[in-house]
Amino acid sequence: MAILVKLDERLWERRMTLTELSERVGITLANLSILKTGKARAIRFSTLDAICRALECQPGDLLAHDPATESPLEE
Amino acid sequence: MSISSVLFVDMTVSSVRASGSTFPALPAARRLLTALLYVNGVYGLAILGLLFASIVVPGPLFEALGVRPASGRGTLELGMRMIMVIGIASAPAAYVVLSRLRSIVDTVREGDPFVAANAARLQTIAWAYLGLELLHIAVGIVAASAGSAAQPLDLHWRFSFTPWVAVLLLFVLARVFDHGARMRADLEGTV
Repeated sequence: MAILVKLDERLWERRMTLTELSERVGITLANLSILKTGKARAIRFSTLDAICRALECQPGDLLAHDPATESPLEE
Repeated sequence: MSISSVLFVDMTVSSVRASGSTFPALPAARRLLTALLYVNGVYGLAILGLLFASIVVPGPLFEALGVRPASGRGTLELGMRMIMVIGIASAPAAYVVLSRLRSIVDTVREGDPFVAANAARLQTIAWAYLGLELLHIAVGIVAASAGSAAQPLDLHWRFSFTPWVAVLLLFVLARVFDHGARMRADLEGTV
């Protein structure tokens, strides 16, 4: 996936665990784990909004694009 | 054999299960389909036996089937043999319909029916059902051609639009299933 999720970095900056984030945003730990490990195929705006609020960041702080990585649409 | 009835019963069953409620008809549907598979096998073998007998002992067999020694008997016997061959050919098609339907029921019981495999199964069922309907038409044509005024071959054959609508419905449903399975696969990875 060419989209990289930088949730780990933001969590480390905030000294927050994934479990704490899960409790704050009301998203299951399993789903957050899927997002963190880059296995998610899509992210809802509502999820992005909740995470940005909890981590006090912008969507661009959480996501990045790596053109070198193969896109699933080209597979 | 009213396969369309079985199909409609099962689709009703599937939709009920998909809504989240448990439905005791699912195991019953599976058992019914398994029984129908056996019946279909016996049916195919029985007609094969009948065809074999019509070659080995044609006289007594056709007499038992009500064929009188009259003019046009040869055509009538040939027509009856052709109908037997069509009957034998319908058994594998019915097997395809019933076995795929049972596989679909299994996925419903496992709680995961909206998969691409079921879309492919529905498509296969649609083709097999189309084949069965074409064979049904063939029986009508043979029966009309082989019978005579003296000895009509009356099989109570009637043309009906309902099975053709069912065939169309199955093809459409297969496409809908395919689309639904893709959408669900997308949704599965959505956080």
